Amino acid sequence: MSLHVDISLRLGTLDIEATLDVQPGEVVALLGPNGAGKSTTVRMLTTLLRPTAGRATVAGFDVATQANDVRRSIGVALQDAAIDPLMTGRELLDLQAVLYGIAPSAVRTRGDELLERVGLTAAADRRVGTYSGGMRRRLDLALSLIHQPTVLFLDEPTTGLDPMSRITLWEEVRRLNREGTTVLLTTQYLEEADQLADRVAIIDHGRIVREGTPTALKAEVGAPTLQVSVAADHVETARDVLARFGELRPTPEGTLGVGLSGGATVVTDVVRALDDAGAPVHHLELNEPSLDDVFAEATGYRLEGAGS
Amino acid sequence: MSTPGTHVLSHADQAPGGTVLRSSRGIALRGLRAIVRLPSAFFPAMMMPIFQAIAFSGTFFAITKIPGFPTDRSINWFLPLAAVMGSGFSGVGVGFTTIRDLESGFFDRLRMAPVPRTALVIGPLLAVWVRTLLVLAAVTVVGVLFGARLTGGPMALLTLAAAGLGTATIGAGWSLGLAYRFRDMRAAALMQLGLFNAIFLTNAQAPLNVMTGWLHAVAKVNPFTNILRLGRQGFLGDVTWDGSWGGLVAIAVLTALAWLFAQTGLRRLDA
Repeated sequence: MSLHVDISLRLGTLDIEATLDVQPGEVVALLGPNGAGKSTTVRMLTTLLRPTAGRATVAGFDVATQANDVRRSIGVALQDAAIDPLMTGRELLDLQAVLYGIAPSAVRTRGDELLERVGLTAAADRRVGTYSGGMRRRLDLALSLIHQPTVLFLDEPTTGLDPMSRITLWEEVRRLNREGTTVLLTTQYLEEADQLADRVAIIDHGRIVREGTPTALKAEVGAPTLQVSVAADHVETARDVLARFGELRPTPEGTLGVGLSGGATVVTDVVRALDDAGAPVHHLELNEPSLDDVFAEATGYRLEGAGS
Repeated sequence: MSTPGTHVLSHADQAPGGTVLRSSRGIALRGLRAIVRLPSAFFPAMMMPIFQAIAFSGTFFAITKIPGFPTDRSINWFLPLAAVMGSGFSGVGVGFTTIRDLESGFFDRLRMAPVPRTALVIGPLLAVWVRTLLVLAAVTVVGVLFGARLTGGPMALLTLAAAGLGTATIGAGWSLGLAYRFRDMRAAALMQLGLFNAIFLTNAQAPLNVMTGWLHAVAKVNPFTNILRLGRQGFLGDVTWDGSWGGLVAIAVLTALAWLFAQTGLRRLDA
C-alpha cells in the first residue's frame, strides 16, 4: 500500500479526521472547497505537520516516527509553488538534487532531463521571478521529481492556471501515473478530479464524507438532476411541485433542483405541473449525475459556486 | 512539455538524502547568490557600519580628551564598535531571510527534504560568515583610510574578525530562534532591538571607567563588553591574552545559548 491514513489533528478551529488508503499506482483526488482540510492533510502526510492522534504511513513509513524515510520516498508540489525568484530554474534543480543526495556526477543530467520533460530547457537559466504561473508550476513539478519518487503529492496543482496550462499539467500527471507513480492530489475543481483520479475522496470540514471511483460515486446519486428557474415569488410553490417528482437537491442560488427518478421522460410532466400550479418555468436543464451532485448529496451544498 | 516517452521516470527505492556538508554548502550558496542578485538588500548592511564609524569618530572626536582615554584617535575607538555592530546585523539578516522563506513557503521545501536538520541552520550560518567578512573588510579598509591605526599589528585584524564573526554567529542564532518561533515579520523588531541593545549597553560609546549609574553596572556585566574589548584591543594597544579570553568565553557561551535557542525553535517548527 502506498498510503495508509488514519489520523486526526486539531488545528485552530479545524478538526481533521481522515481515513484513507491509496494503492500503488493509483491517482487519488482529495476534493473539497477551501478550508475543508485538504492541504492540512497533505501537510501531515508530507511530514510538515504532526498528527495529534492516529497513524499514517506513506510508502510503508510512519509519518511521525520515520519522517526522514517518508521524505526520501515522496515528491511534493505544494499549493503556492514556493520557489526562490532570485534563483534560476537550473540552480533550483541543482539545490534540490543536493538536498536529496543525488550524486554530483548525475545532477546535471538529471536536471537537464527534467527541464526537457517539463518544457523549460529554454528558460532554465532565467531567474524564476520572470516565469509565468504555469512555468513555475511545471518547475515545481520537476523539482518534486528530482529523486524519482514513488509517491507524488500535488496540492492544488492547477489553481490559478489558464486552461491550456491546466491541460498540459494534467497530461504530465497522467504520464507520471502511467510510469508507475502513485499520486495523491488535492483539488477544488470537479473536472480535475473527474479527469485525473482513479478514486475521489470528498472532504468537507475535515472529514472524508464520500470515497470511490468517479463512476461509482455518480452511480450512487442515481437519477439526473433537473434544475429549474422560476420567478422569485413562485419559488415555494415550485418547490412543493418538484418534491412530487423526486428528492430535492441543492442547486446554485436562484434555482431549484430535483433528482428526477423518471429521467428525461418526465420532464414534460414536471413543466406541465409547474404551469398548472401557477409557477411557469423560466429556464430548465437536465444534468446527468456529476461529481458536483455527489458532493452536494454528501455535504448538502454545491462545490461549484461555494465561494472557493 | 516534452513528447511523451522522451524521458521515462524510473523510480528510485528511496533518495539517499543530502549530507550535512553538501546540503549546508548548497543552502549557503543560495544565500550568497542573493548578495549579487539583490545588492540593494546587502548594500545598506555594509554601508551602515561604515557610516557609523566615520560619523561617530567625527562627531565625538573630543572623546579622546577624556583623561586616560586609551587612544588619541576617535576612529580607533569607534571602528571596532561599528565593525562588531555591523557583523551582528549581518547575522540578524539571516533571520529576515528565513522569515521570508517561511512566509513564501520555500522553507517548507527545505523542511521536506531528507537532510539532517543541522544543515538547515549551518547552511545559512556559512552565508552569514561570508557576508560578515565582507562587512569587516569594508569597514576596516575605510576606517584605515580615515586614519585608524592597527596598534596591535596584524593580530588586530584577527581579534576584530573573531569579535565580528562571533557576534554575527550569536546574532544569527538569536534571529533564527525568533524567526522559527514567530514565523512572520513580528520577529523582526525583536531581532534588531535585542542585538542593538545588547551591544549598545556596553562600553560602546565610552570607557567603563568614565561611565556611571546603571549604565556602568549593566555594561560591566554585559558579555558583549568583553566581545568589544576583544575586537578593540588591537586598535588601542597590543593584542594580549588578558584582553582576549573574556571575549572568547563570552562568544562561546552566547553562541551555545543562541544556537540552542535556534535549534529548539526549529524543533518546535517540526513538532
